[in-house]
Amino acid sequence: MFEPRLNQAQILEYTKGRMGISAVPGSGKTHTLSYLASQLILTGDLENDQEILIVTLVNSAVDNFTTRISGFVRAAGLLDNVGYRVRTLHGLAHDIILERPDLAGLSSQFTIVDEVESDRMIEQITTAYNRLHPELAEFLLKTSVDLAQVNRSRNGWPQLITTLNQNFISQAKDLQAEPEDILRKIEHYQCSDVLLEMGVEVYQQYQRGLRYRNALDFSDLIRLAYRVLESDPAFLERLRYRWPYVLEDEAQDSSSIQEKMLRLLVGAEGNWVRVGDPNQAIYETFTTANPRFLRNFLKEEGVRSMSLPHSGRSNISILNLANNLIEWTRNHHPVSDLRDSLDVPFIEPTPQGDPQPNPIDHPHAIYIRNANTTPDEEIRIVVENIKRWLPQNPDKTLAVLCPIGWYGEKVADALHKAEIPMVELLKSSQSTRKIASIVEKVLLAIANPNDAGNNSEAIKQILKVGINEDDQVEEVNRLTTAIRKCNRMEEFYYPVPGREWSTGLELPDASEALLERLDDLRQKFIRWHLATSLPIDQLILTVAQDLFTSPAELALAHKFALLLEFSADLHPEYLLPDFASELAEISGNIRKFNGFSDEELRFNPDDHKGEVFVSTYHKAKGLEWDRVYLMSVNNYDFPSAQEFDNYIGEKWFIREDFNPHAEVLDRLTGLLTNNAQLITAPPGAATRQARLDYASERLRLLFVGITRARQSLVITWNTGSRKNEPQRMALPLEALYAYWSSSNEPA
Amino acid sequence: MQDGMPAVVLTNDQTTVINSPMSGSLLLKGQAGTGKSTCAALRLRYLIESGAAGDSILVLVPQRSLAAPYYAQVHAADFPAGGQPSLLTFNGLSQRMIALFWPLINTSAGFTHTKAPFKFLTIESAQYYLAKIVEPVLQQGYFESLTIDPNRLFSQILDNLNKSAIVGFPPSEIAARLSNAWIGKPTQLKIYQQAEECAIRFRQFCLEHNYLDFSLQLSVFKEHIWPSLICKEFIYKNYQHLIYDNIEEDYPVAHDFVSDLLPGLTSALLIQDTGGGYRSFLGADPSSAARLGNICKGVYTLKDSFVKSPAIDNLENALDESIRTHRQPGGDHGKFSDSFSISSFRFYPEVIDWVISKIQELLTDNTILPGEIAVLTPFLSDALRFSFASRMDAVKIPFTTHRPSRSLYDEPAVRTVLTLARIAHPSWCLLPGSQEVRMALALAIQELDYARADLLSRTLYQRGNRDWSLNAFDTLKIDMQERITYHAGQQYEILRNWLFENKESGTSELDHWLSRLYGEVLSQPGFGFHTDYDAAAAIAHLIDSCRKFRNIYTPDNLSVPGNPGKEYVQVLEHGILAAQSVASQSRQSASNAVFLGPAFSFLMRNQPVSYQFWVDIGSQGWWSRLEQPLTQPYVLSRNWDPSKLWTDVEEYEINQQSLARLTSGLLRRCRDHVYMCSVAYNERGLEERGQLLLALQNIQRIKARQSEADNV
Repeated sequence: MFEPRLNQAQILEYTKGRMGISAVPGSGKTHTLSYLASQLILTGDLENDQEILIVTLVNSAVDNFTTRISGFVRAAGLLDNVGYRVRTLHGLAHDIILERPDLAGLSSQFTIVDEVESDRMIEQITTAYNRLHPELAEFLLKTSVDLAQVNRSRNGWPQLITTLNQNFISQAKDLQAEPEDILRKIEHYQCSDVLLEMGVEVYQQYQRGLRYRNALDFSDLIRLAYRVLESDPAFLERLRYRWPYVLEDEAQDSSSIQEKMLRLLVGAEGNWVRVGDPNQAIYETFTTANPRFLRNFLKEEGVRSMSLPHSGRSNISILNLANNLIEWTRNHHPVSDLRDSLDVPFIEPTPQGDPQPNPIDHPHAIYIRNANTTPDEEIRIVVENIKRWLPQNPDKTLAVLCPIGWYGEKVADALHKAEIPMVELLKSSQSTRKIASIVEKVLLAIANPNDAGNNSEAIKQILKVGINEDDQVEEVNRLTTAIRKCNRMEEFYYPVPGREWSTGLELPDASEALLERLDDLRQKFIRWHLATSLPIDQLILTVAQDLFTSPAELALAHKFALLLEFSADLHPEYLLPDFASELAEISGNIRKFNGFSDEELRFNPDDHKGEVFVSTYHKAKGLEWDRVYLMSVNNYDFPSAQEFDNYIGEKWFIREDFNPHAEVLDRLTGLLTNNAQLITAPPGAATRQARLDYASERLRLLFVGITRARQSLVITWNTGSRKNEPQRMALPLEALYAYWSSSNEPA
Repeated sequence: MQDGMPAVVLTNDQTTVINSPMSGSLLLKGQAGTGKSTCAALRLRYLIESGAAGDSILVLVPQRSLAAPYYAQVHAADFPAGGQPSLLTFNGLSQRMIALFWPLINTSAGFTHTKAPFKFLTIESAQYYLAKIVEPVLQQGYFESLTIDPNRLFSQILDNLNKSAIVGFPPSEIAARLSNAWIGKPTQLKIYQQAEECAIRFRQFCLEHNYLDFSLQLSVFKEHIWPSLICKEFIYKNYQHLIYDNIEEDYPVAHDFVSDLLPGLTSALLIQDTGGGYRSFLGADPSSAARLGNICKGVYTLKDSFVKSPAIDNLENALDESIRTHRQPGGDHGKFSDSFSISSFRFYPEVIDWVISKIQELLTDNTILPGEIAVLTPFLSDALRFSFASRMDAVKIPFTTHRPSRSLYDEPAVRTVLTLARIAHPSWCLLPGSQEVRMALALAIQELDYARADLLSRTLYQRGNRDWSLNAFDTLKIDMQERITYHAGQQYEILRNWLFENKESGTSELDHWLSRLYGEVLSQPGFGFHTDYDAAAAIAHLIDSCRKFRNIYTPDNLSVPGNPGKEYVQVLEHGILAAQSVASQSRQSASNAVFLGPAFSFLMRNQPVSYQFWVDIGSQGWWSRLEQPLTQPYVLSRNWDPSKLWTDVEEYEINQQSLARLTSGLLRRCRDHVYMCSVAYNERGLEERGQLLLALQNIQRIKARQSEADNV
């Protein structure tokens, strides 16, 4: 039973109108919001066709909310899936468009390309553009730089301009501009440059590509939903009736179009509750998201402004450290423009007698490593520390957070080598990747029925499912090695009359049961051979029905079938190995794919005690662990707008003090919002502002990292990869170190 | 009478209608399942038995599938001998009349070559020619703000033309009508204008080439044939009696024609399903049909259903009220507890398994025929159709599916013969890939398994050889010949020789070439399609489609001889042509098979069943119409007030009406029980809560109350 504390109870008194809630990390906002939703369902005057709409930021939160609300509603004896709808903003936009696609200029059968396909399209268009426009490199590169060299380097020139165009397109869509709108503005203001020209042309061709595929991308969803809502007042009215209450979580990360969409949906008289923490706004770089939207809302007339300042998540030492970061930023940050990066209220511990008391404090709650270390050294120290700590705390949860994904992968490799159990929050779950891998291998095997290597690999993967004992695994390995050596696969699958399928194989000793399984599997392969004449989706379903039994696995295979059917539409020339490659991207974790396993629907760190969780700071948002390692807190990953800082967005090969992303996006924004100051700003102005914005966001990212820890926190940093230009400890970390050292000094 | 159905016992009301005088016009009304069509089919027999000449009777239906009861009657062993009645759609009648009176009307109708013959375009060939008109303007930037698949673009432009013909307004009004009702962004207005421009260009193209697509057929009939006295006289001379079934599913121009025709006929029986109008989105107009009913001399209403049980009847009323009022139905609807059940699932495959096991259960004691069961969905994706089909095959449940949009090219037999055709015509430069060749050989040669077909295609097929790509079997090393087997090698040689001998000979008449390939090789013993009747049906359909294409084909450049064979293969592969259901008809006779298909197809089939399965009741597809950004069936209808905007109020209302009509239509065609399935994640893994689910929640509440009362 949920027992609200005083501030939470005050929020639960809400019955109608507008309310804004500023909630500190660990204040129980999800719980409070879920309970509020269930209260409105139970006590409100909802009609049968009305719902409470809960809007969240990420998919995992959807399931979290659904589980909680259905629990509360069920406990009250009502149907647990009626009267509410939980959606991400994109999910909500999709719902809206699906109801009236005509108003968005779509037919009912539109599809949505995922990020991989969208990135691929932009990359192809950009590459072609780059080939035809040598002036682009002339404009952007330092004169001393050799284009051939940057073309070859990892994260080099091609990737930079592709990302530039991705950001351009995404921003243009956020500002609801079609390529033609931008061209008109360019003409109107007589303002153009090579970056704008590239952005518009790539955008134009990209849109043409999407139209040809009858598809949208994720950024289109919100702007088209907004267009639909704006187009037909009667439809808007119907939705306002359907959703008399809108409860919004993580409101600090709303972009301008997202906020506009919800504002329109709620209407002037509607009931809207927005919960968020401006200090946890970490999605602002090169987007139109801004915690300012939430701050302004809290000050709006007619809005009841509330706060949830108590948090029972961390012990006092960690809370104090987080509060010290707020205090230092607001009062002592050397750059005055950055002092409002973090906002009050400070986090308060829960009151005495609270059902969620703060964990007991201890003298080693925090450790900040001061010494210079190289990245490899930093990883080695952290891994060794974990290796010592983990066996002593098998019932505790632990996370290692890195600012950048590839650094996280290096940490994961080191943990793997040290044989430390690990869980990764990756693009797709392990079970999804496993299923994708099996289907991929089967496709390769049936594409090449006489290739003993492909066939033995597929057979091995399938026979190993459900086997745990080492000796059984070994038995399967021996058997499939024999198949790999077979030089007449046609005899294995289709022996001529009078011969056995096993005749041509040098079969090792194997149990009857395993041989029976192999023979059964052989029969399945024969069936699948004939099924290769079917369209790819039907082939996948045939294979899946023969291989998988659990509903979640079959549903996942169904989703693969639809994905590949879509690929077949896009690429009519695709053959089986090409489809296998698509699946390989999922099994190899290159491509994000949402499956149906619990890992994907809801990730709960407490299910992974005794294992190490490795992820980026961003992905850790909303989660908490007993012990947290924050790595790489140097002035490259956490710059502070100082002379000596370097910035990720400013590549070494680009002309001095010029961040092309910032420059072109500011110009674009200026054009589309008729902001003369942005349009006429001299080169470099946007770069300077971007540095400030980035530094500000990184302060909040550090705050998010600190507040993930319940009982202990370790912070380390490294000198970076450039030996001649070593990084230093991030400025805010220096301040935290000073605070921590002084508070640890013996009295 | 349907196969396997009990003998028809007629009510007094039915007998009165059948035996009504052989003069004057009569409107027969009633809900589905009240025995109207049975009655009308027996009226046909009565007319002939009473002395009317068979060929003086015209039976009109809006769609060919709705003529089934009349065909059954005419083909019955004891049907009176003599002239046969004409069983036609309005379009079929138009075609006959155009064929007869072409020389008389071609000048006035605006055709350029009045001395030359004409050709009717099928939907496919119309799309083919329209594509040639639209593709160049797409390059110029037409339809830029629209996200749409090109084939759908073509079909919607044609749809606008067809709407103009069936409603009766000139194509030059298409854009204005659509624009006046448009409420969204103004960019759409340009799109409408461009769609109209393409439609008019296509019309002009047809007039210049003596082509008649569906819309031009109707327009020519309406404006040039029917007004002509000679034509009128011809019709009256030929037809004295009319039976016109399902008038509510037909177009306003058909109603106009019949309205004109009626006074000159000896007798007429018009039949109206009072809850029908399912084809509204295709242009059917129940209110226009009602106007036609008003001019009949007599009206007769059949009230009692032969189909639905009282519980289903109660359910229909309660659900109808729930949908129309959005509230829990008030009043006493009577008990319906046993008429339906709702089962909930998390994932889609669970639903499929459950439905199959339930069907197996129903069929166990052999008292229920498979034809008494229908599995209905709002849409039927290929993947879903296949999932159901393969599971039903596995447990040997006979079934029939209807999904008209399945492409002919997806049939393995069709792919096989086309792959062989591409090999035999190297000059087309369309040589297939080795995987296609592997599959074609594995299917074409009976004893060649997949792995050996792989060896064969890898060793003997040389795509790089532009002159001839299939090498002889004896060019292989002995070891490889042994692996593939000599017997399979012999069959391969027969096929290869045939292809070589007939190399390049199918360019102008590919249909003949395919027909010979099938007849002389592939259907012979030792070859893959020897006893495969599904393959035979698919290839027959292919040959027919190919012949029709050849008949209308005109090369782009008239000075260069055309290549219809190559052109046909290419357009088929690009999905423009032959999107028609093939296998479904050949699989099972309807009465012996479970029906699997979209609810709309089931309604148009008009055969009641005892058990229905409604799959995924949460889907929005039960409620919302198919959105087509270039056209709008309601705005282009005769009932639309051109001064109004099409807003969500209209959209919502029309969808609610369609849902109510759909569910009533289904329940009126159900005798005993509806199994409804709700699923948390739809086929694409999304959560949906459509209006049908919301309406059923109300019904579920009443059902719970009824059960409680029973238990007290």
